[in-house]
Amino acid sequence: MAIVKMSSFSLLAFDSERDKLLGRLQNFGYVHFNNPDESLLEEGLEPVSIPESIGEVDEEISKVKYAIEVLSKYYEKETGIKAMIKGLDTLEFEELEEKAKNIDYIPTYERLRELTLGLDDVNSKSKSLEENRDELLLWKRLRYPIEELDNFKQLEVFMGTIPKKMKASFDDALLSLSLTYVEEISDDKDSSYIYGVTWKEEVDTFNEILRNNGFSRIKLSGTKTPEEEIKLIDDSLDKLKLKGEDILESIKGLSGNLPEFEIVYEYLMNKKLKLMTSENFVTTEKVNLIRGYIPTDKKDAFKSLIDETLEDAYYINIEDAELDDPNVPVLLENSKFNQNFESLTEMYSLPKYNEIDPTPFLTPFYLIFFGMMGADFGYGLIMLIGTFIALKMFNLNDGSRKFLKFFHYLSYSVMAWGLVYGSIFGGIVPSPIKALINPAEEYNSLLVLSIIFGIFHIFYGLAINAYMSIRDGRPLDALYDVGFWFLALLGSIGFLLAMVIDIPLVIKNISLLMMIIGMAGIVLFGARDAKNIGGRLAGGVYELYGISGYIGDFVSYSRLMALGLSGGFIASSINLMAGMAAESGPIGIFFGAIIFIIGQAFNFGLSILSAYVHTIRLTFVEFFGKFYEGGGVRFKQFRSNTKYINLK
Amino acid sequence: MTLSEFFVNYGGIFFAGLGASLAVLLSGVGSAKGIGIVGEATSGLVIEEPEKFGKSLILQLLPGTQGLYGFVIGLFVMAKLNSNMGIAEGLYLFAACLPVGIVGLMSAVYQGRVSAAGISILAKNEDHFFKGVIYAVMVETYALLAFVISIILLNAVNF
Repeated sequence: MAIVKMSSFSLLAFDSERDKLLGRLQNFGYVHFNNPDESLLEEGLEPVSIPESIGEVDEEISKVKYAIEVLSKYYEKETGIKAMIKGLDTLEFEELEEKAKNIDYIPTYERLRELTLGLDDVNSKSKSLEENRDELLLWKRLRYPIEELDNFKQLEVFMGTIPKKMKASFDDALLSLSLTYVEEISDDKDSSYIYGVTWKEEVDTFNEILRNNGFSRIKLSGTKTPEEEIKLIDDSLDKLKLKGEDILESIKGLSGNLPEFEIVYEYLMNKKLKLMTSENFVTTEKVNLIRGYIPTDKKDAFKSLIDETLEDAYYINIEDAELDDPNVPVLLENSKFNQNFESLTEMYSLPKYNEIDPTPFLTPFYLIFFGMMGADFGYGLIMLIGTFIALKMFNLNDGSRKFLKFFHYLSYSVMAWGLVYGSIFGGIVPSPIKALINPAEEYNSLLVLSIIFGIFHIFYGLAINAYMSIRDGRPLDALYDVGFWFLALLGSIGFLLAMVIDIPLVIKNISLLMMIIGMAGIVLFGARDAKNIGGRLAGGVYELYGISGYIGDFVSYSRLMALGLSGGFIASSINLMAGMAAESGPIGIFFGAIIFIIGQAFNFGLSILSAYVHTIRLTFVEFFGKFYEGGGVRFKQFRSNTKYINLK
Repeated sequence: MTLSEFFVNYGGIFFAGLGASLAVLLSGVGSAKGIGIVGEATSGLVIEEPEKFGKSLILQLLPGTQGLYGFVIGLFVMAKLNSNMGIAEGLYLFAACLPVGIVGLMSAVYQGRVSAAGISILAKNEDHFFKGVIYAVMVETYALLAFVISIILLNAVNF
């Protein structure tokens, strides 16, 4: 329940055994390696260099990645809900290793490579043929074999384009020639496609005219007439298309191998991690020094594993991790209920090893606050049913499962607060029990309730701070940093209340006394680290000024009321609109129903999102601010993050 | 009818109606602008990674709530309108509309900017996308407070 106890280990082992050792440790999983110690490097030890085999592994990975990329386009996977029901396969690490070793993916890869190269070839060939064809299409009206165009003895043939802008002046210029024939075959946006035949004697003049009018020559490829050439190209295109389809079929035939590639990929990624890990070790010529952390409860298993792997050729020292060492990795462990809220702690920052895991403390407040902001029985019911179905039907990985459970538990709170507010889908369904608070009328009492919750929340946070100080053997700090604040805050609250409402004078006087003692304590001891008395008092006064921060904190809890109210009001105004629409006959009822469904769905999403975010804010800023710092290092299991399978 | 006569006779409904219009108008303009800012930022992302469309839509919709708040206030004021309204009541309703309108206008634009910045989180580090959403929702707090005050003002006094 909280932060898992860690043990640090230093292991001396022969360099020759490293690969085998790492393999076994990876199977074990719960090992976190340290970065190499600078001081050891200064003493002449060398960092272990990453084995050269990493290059091969990288190459393998890129091959497998390529295959996955190609095949996943054609692999028929279940999509949508079916895929979620099926989920990812879960494998033990040993299973993964064994499976991957039995898969010989190289032949499939090479076949695939050949096929895709073939496909690329087909595609590029068809593309160039199509370009050719497009060009020939423009000359389709020319009924003369292309190869013979250059073979005239007395004539010369010109083919090409001139810009449309020049066409008129070109035509004019042609009038001066008598032994030349020019025809426009076709045109596109900017150019005319022309061919001309001219007698040898006029070639030079004709050339001159062409040059002056921006003529650019086109050389057609092929031998037969354009029309026949087009037909030939069409034939080859058809053949290429068939060939391409054939290749595609073959690739699709290989797509059944995708799951195998995925397994190999995960295996290789773990192998790469194993090789990369060597970076963290230092070595003499023959002996590696490996340092890291293991959870203390896995100490014996770890020891016997080392013993089994290395027999007698090792030296190991395991001791409890230093409480105040910032390098100790942090692993959280909470009850089945609380662990669903760990994601919140992780989102803020993991605790340092010497701190406290705030998860169990934030959970009850998170539940209450979320419900108070969501506060609609109907919305809660939808959340409850939705998460229940998803949890029952889908095969989810650990993270998603926890996230859904998180919302599943929250839904009860949303329903409960919905009943308190008497709100079911914004009041369209009458509540079976009488609402305890009518938010539209009694927003004042709701505001007071919110702030009371806030006072509890903040005092609870301060109490945890005091607990931590006492636990760490600093009871005076608990008094100075928390005790005095308790007195000052409680005293001022009591004193201020006494001014507004009628309470016995005794209480007022006691409050005043508490406030004065508390404030004096803060001024005297708030800055007890200061060097001289003046600085200490000034620092103390500044600390006391922090009371304005507390006022801000308390007021911040008014969002509990505000969000509950706004969700309810938006829901009821949607109902109002739907009702107005429904009054105008059968079609109106139809539109009213649509307005109701879309509007409520929108408000549902908005309410849940706001409740999630604003409760996080109250937790992170107001609550964590009182006792929690965070900044711990995450315990990294000796496994890579998997993509295609769940690894146990 | 002179202008002063008009205000004596219809000033109430005029100001109440003006209030409802402003509540919807200002917050609507703000939301439209906020959503627009995010939309522009998102389009570039979707070219490269169309699969992030769904998540980018969440960010884009965030500045849209101000318009909704204004709309709800407008609706509530509308329910109170009648042609015999006194000028005091009309001015009061007008005043009640101001928080949601003005705060809605400004906060939606700022929220749009924060959301647009959140797009870069989505682009570069999708796992932490939700932190961008949290930043953006923080801005909305103040629109929400304004909305609640507008509602409370509308219900607080009966003429």
